[in-house]
Amino acid sequence: MPYIKSLIVICLLCVALPSQAALNIFACEPEWASLSQEIGGEKLSIYSATTAKQDVHSIQARPSLIAKMRRADLVVCTGAELEAGWLPLLLQRASNRKVQPGQLGYFMAAEHVERLDVPQVLDRSMGDIHAGGNPHVHLDPYRLLIIAQLLNKRLGAIDPSNAAFYQARLEDFQTRWQAAINRWQAQAQPLKGLSVVTHHKDWRYLLDWLGMKAVATLEPKPGLPPNASHLAKLKKQMAEQSVAMVIRTAYQEARPSKWLSGKTAIPAVQLPYTVGGSAKASDLFGLFDETLALMLEASGQ
Amino acid sequence: MNLDGLDISILGPALLAGLLVLTTHIPLGREVLRRGIIFLDLAVAQIAGLGVIISYSFGWESGSWQIQFMAMTAALLGASLLYWCEKRWPEVQEAIIGCVFVLAACAGIVVLSSNPHGGEEFKELLAGQILWVSYEQLIPLAVVSIGVLALWCSAYNKRHPLLFYGLFAVAVTSSVQLVGVYLVFASLIIPALAVRKFKAKGLAIGFIIGALGYVFGLCLSAILDWPSGATIVWCLAISGIAVASFLSKREKVLD
Repeated sequence: MPYIKSLIVICLLCVALPSQAALNIFACEPEWASLSQEIGGEKLSIYSATTAKQDVHSIQARPSLIAKMRRADLVVCTGAELEAGWLPLLLQRASNRKVQPGQLGYFMAAEHVERLDVPQVLDRSMGDIHAGGNPHVHLDPYRLLIIAQLLNKRLGAIDPSNAAFYQARLEDFQTRWQAAINRWQAQAQPLKGLSVVTHHKDWRYLLDWLGMKAVATLEPKPGLPPNASHLAKLKKQMAEQSVAMVIRTAYQEARPSKWLSGKTAIPAVQLPYTVGGSAKASDLFGLFDETLALMLEASGQ
Repeated sequence: MNLDGLDISILGPALLAGLLVLTTHIPLGREVLRRGIIFLDLAVAQIAGLGVIISYSFGWESGSWQIQFMAMTAALLGASLLYWCEKRWPEVQEAIIGCVFVLAACAGIVVLSSNPHGGEEFKELLAGQILWVSYEQLIPLAVVSIGVLALWCSAYNKRHPLLFYGLFAVAVTSSVQLVGVYLVFASLIIPALAVRKFKAKGLAIGFIIGALGYVFGLCLSAILDWPSGATIVWCLAISGIAVASFLSKREKVLD
């Protein structure tokens, strides 16, 4: 029955929505769908290829992905090799000229900001590391702001008739975002200097912004599943070092961080990581609010 | 619900890939069933993947043809080992195949844990996704399929078991990287299982079952926005059951 209901809702929506030529945005991850929404509002028709519960390193192929990519006017993804396992294949299969690499319709957010941990020498024996540096940039609000400005320019270039509209919404977003950053930084004061253990290196930019230290990862090497000897080593390390919490995303396996937490009494926290990763993280503002609230709670502040 | 995906340019290459896979897998699947070694394809594919991982840990850098060469060589070696086992211990061949499968899989985990280099290619080799296939990729698959079929059919009366193991290794290794292990297994076993009682007509009916499964699976995955490979596997099973029960009813009427 829920199917029938949602079917009716969708049909009604199709009728209700005016068929104006909204710009079609194909976002690889929910954070970019959310950012596009902030800047483009109702002028954009936004599709997110993944949800917060999915590991974006690898996804299953569905026909709708190709169909959406084919009609996209702008592809907004993280880039820096994060989607290397599927985005090139999808672009090739969709053969939409507007969104191929190098075109206006191809916007790789992480490639427009400075990335941390760019390897000096590329040696794959170090694990699944990205040649372009750590791609998980959206959890630094300052980098997100730069990306918002560039995305606004790109939208204006693709759709000049609405450029002023995008610009006005960007300015509004900037004001609200800057105020939020000030609030978050004041809130996060107690977190400064704390050490954490993370599952994967996807928290690099958040921790860097908050002045926190990642002392270890549950994965022995990026992309490799946690194993017994590595976890045992971590347990020893935790005994010698004060660590405030063990953090993971909604899509990562809970067992390794729970195991370590059980052995060391250091709290294990699941953070939303991106928009949709928890009920309260329904947009970018909610994402940071919720992330900080959970971290403050875990650290006992 | 989404009708955008119902587009021949989106589903066409995947459908053609499926039909090509079926041409070789139905006759080979019937032989697999006759010999009672249904997990042979999983073992062979896993060994092909292991070959790729090991070649990486030797530091051999890869163009795509070298990876193909390593995968094929490993699969052929694995298949000849399994042929030897069949000759030596025919009564426990199925159990041996199962053991070879887990051994190859675990060897892969061990090698990758010290050197993750090659892990990507390993994953790609086993987890092909039918929807990403392009028409250009189908040309090598078509050539391999024609070769396998020609050898298999020309040797109809004097099929050596080693010929079967060799052709099987080649067919599975070339198809698994395009459509993935689940679809290879389903294409191999389900149509063959559904037509097990038929002799001469079995191939044609099996192909119809397979084709129906792929067509409905792809359309359903487009309409409901489900992952294509997994949806096709289910549709293959449904089509197999439907056709088999239809034919068995008709047989009773004819009796």
